[in-house]
Amino acid sequence: MKVDTMEAEKIIDSLNAKFPDTISDSQIESEKRISAYAEAGSIVEICRYLKDELQFDHLSSETAVDLILKDEIEVVYHLSSFGQPLVLKLKARLPRNNPEIESITSVYWDANWYEREAYELFGVQYRNHPNLRNLVLPDELLGDWPLRKDYEDFPQKTAKNLV
Amino acid sequence: MAEELTSQSYEQPAPKEQAQEESIPGVITTTSREINEFLKKTKIQDILNWGRKNSLWFMSQPMGCCGVELIVAGVAPMDTDRFGIIPRNSPRQADVMIISGYVTRKYFPALKRLWDQMPSPKWVFCVGDCSISGGPFYESYSTVQNIDEIFPIDVFVPGCPPRPEAIIQGFVEIQKKIETKKDRGSGYEG
Amino acid sequence: MDTNIGPDEMLIHMGPHHIAQPGPFRLNVKLKGETVQDSDVEMGFIHKGIEKILESKTYLQGIPVVDRACYLAALTNEEAFVGCVEKLAGIEPTERSQYIRVIVEELSRIQSHLLGYGEYTEFIGFMTMFFYPMTVREKILDLLEMTTGARITHSYLRFGGVRDDLPEGFEAKCKEAFALLRRGLEEWGELMKSDTIYRERTVGVGVLTPDTAKEMGVTGPPLRATGVDFDIRKDEPYLVYDDLDFKVCTETAGDVYARIWVRVAEIYESMYIIEQALDQMPSGPLFPENLPYDRRAPVMRVPEGEVFHRVEDPRGEMGMYMVSDGSDKPYRVKIRGPVFPTMQAMPPLIKDSQLADVVAIVGSLDPCVSEADR
Repeated sequence: MKVDTMEAEKIIDSLNAKFPDTISDSQIESEKRISAYAEAGSIVEICRYLKDELQFDHLSSETAVDLILKDEIEVVYHLSSFGQPLVLKLKARLPRNNPEIESITSVYWDANWYEREAYELFGVQYRNHPNLRNLVLPDELLGDWPLRKDYEDFPQKTAKNLV
Repeated sequence: MAEELTSQSYEQPAPKEQAQEESIPGVITTTSREINEFLKKTKIQDILNWGRKNSLWFMSQPMGCCGVELIVAGVAPMDTDRFGIIPRNSPRQADVMIISGYVTRKYFPALKRLWDQMPSPKWVFCVGDCSISGGPFYESYSTVQNIDEIFPIDVFVPGCPPRPEAIIQGFVEIQKKIETKKDRGSGYEG
Repeated sequence: MDTNIGPDEMLIHMGPHHIAQPGPFRLNVKLKGETVQDSDVEMGFIHKGIEKILESKTYLQGIPVVDRACYLAALTNEEAFVGCVEKLAGIEPTERSQYIRVIVEELSRIQSHLLGYGEYTEFIGFMTMFFYPMTVREKILDLLEMTTGARITHSYLRFGGVRDDLPEGFEAKCKEAFALLRRGLEEWGELMKSDTIYRERTVGVGVLTPDTAKEMGVTGPPLRATGVDFDIRKDEPYLVYDDLDFKVCTETAGDVYARIWVRVAEIYESMYIIEQALDQMPSGPLFPENLPYDRRAPVMRVPEGEVFHRVEDPRGEMGMYMVSDGSDKPYRVKIRGPVFPTMQAMPPLIKDSQLADVVAIVGSLDPCVSEADR
């Protein structure tokens, strides 16, 4: 199934028309990939519009990236669809010393575990999440945010029988 | 009713104090531990060792990538049953614990509890590079390195992952060690 | 999950060391009699921190590490990683390499399905069906070992091509192995269709409807067993999949029985794909002429950018999101495993079923817990 650029452009135009202030810098990166920046405060409305009107009904992944030089943490959403082969990447910028954003579990049911993982590895606080606690880390490592760039206990040097 | 049950403490009753044995003429009392220590120095231990080494039952717990090769070592064509080795799932019924893969900080208390539940004589052996030194994940924040300082390990099988034939060779090495009384698991002094 | 238990209820922890689980994770179930009222999944027992390790290794050193994310089907992990780097650096692999990659990845898919469906039948007690596929799986692993050098974790793909060409005698051995596999699949199909106890245990158990499956984000054979045909090899073709002719296998019932049949049908399709690829493969070089780096140099710099690449793993949609800052090590790699949303979907699926069915449902989803934990 090939998607033509007309389809991708239509999606970008309708997004820009509906949310003129909160969506910025939208572009077509390549065939089947489009990206845009979104404001952190209105992420739930944007996702609901994308799911109901534009048929983006599959959340491929949700994660965070630590940009220590710009003093920001970016939350990245990849949304795709079962009907058409197109992936939209939404990014929201948060300040590094207090990253808080609204949770999208009310729109996408499977965002639950992705947000728990981003919370325990980066420290992103999600508001209105049904069950925000650690998923893969043991209890004693919660609060250390291991995947941030200034985590001190990595790399460990206690292994002895190395050749 | 529920409150009564939980308020009872589940500790073992306190051991009776060791009363001074009134020596009954003609009767010798001893403990099973002393019998064990006595037998270790005689030839009967060789017969016990022959029985133990030819039926080593291991506790199957596939933890990492090496776990897949452990499963394959048990089925045809590389059968372990011809050596008398079969997998058991409960720690109370097993002789050998196989650490196949990396041990993480979250899993480590469960592993220690499984080891404590196994009745002696028991042996442990390590499969794969991750349990020897940490493997490809030796720098990670979440794995435990240097397992051999916590468990008395007899045999190391290197590889990433080792072939099923190498795991069977590991069992053969434990059998040789038991026969010549050099294993760390049974607790011989020296 | 609410851990307060009423007068007739009981709380059971299954795991992490459990006989009938395909990997260490803890499933807490709250039972009333034998019916499951509520449940909860706890994970993280084999979390190794691969994403942090990849940030401190160069791109070439990252290939063996990312291999061990899902060790049951290692070549698709490598394809996602190598595909990301090739898109960022603008490298196009040669045609012969693309055909070789398709062949080894389909072989990896066959052996993963044989292991998955063999283990699942062992958990429900049908031990005969565990031993037969494992013997045939050895023949497929022999083919993979002849080509790549290892049985499980291969480290075979490189940026722009593959490490070595196919060895001599590969085609003849392949035909032998496939003849054995076809004969075996017919026998086992007869066994599964005619055995009454097996059908009682699996038909109508753990039913998923298409809308629920799409809402929960499930991909792979569990989704195709409900009737939705979503396969990344058809929707977003990578390598030479748009030149090859194959169909997407679906069933409509959505229960445990249907999920196993989807996997068996996929084994037939993979054999057909490999035979076509062996016929159509051109001869030529393995690496393109104008690589932007020296193939034997240990350090390779990748230009700045971000990319998201998806491939079709035997268990669903696998994706990798890579951020590069122009140096020789990646800045951030996120591995999107296909089993992560499938394990999230376990508690609603096992609600109101019997305790003995929990094992059948969990096994039929074929979770590779290492991929969910990373």
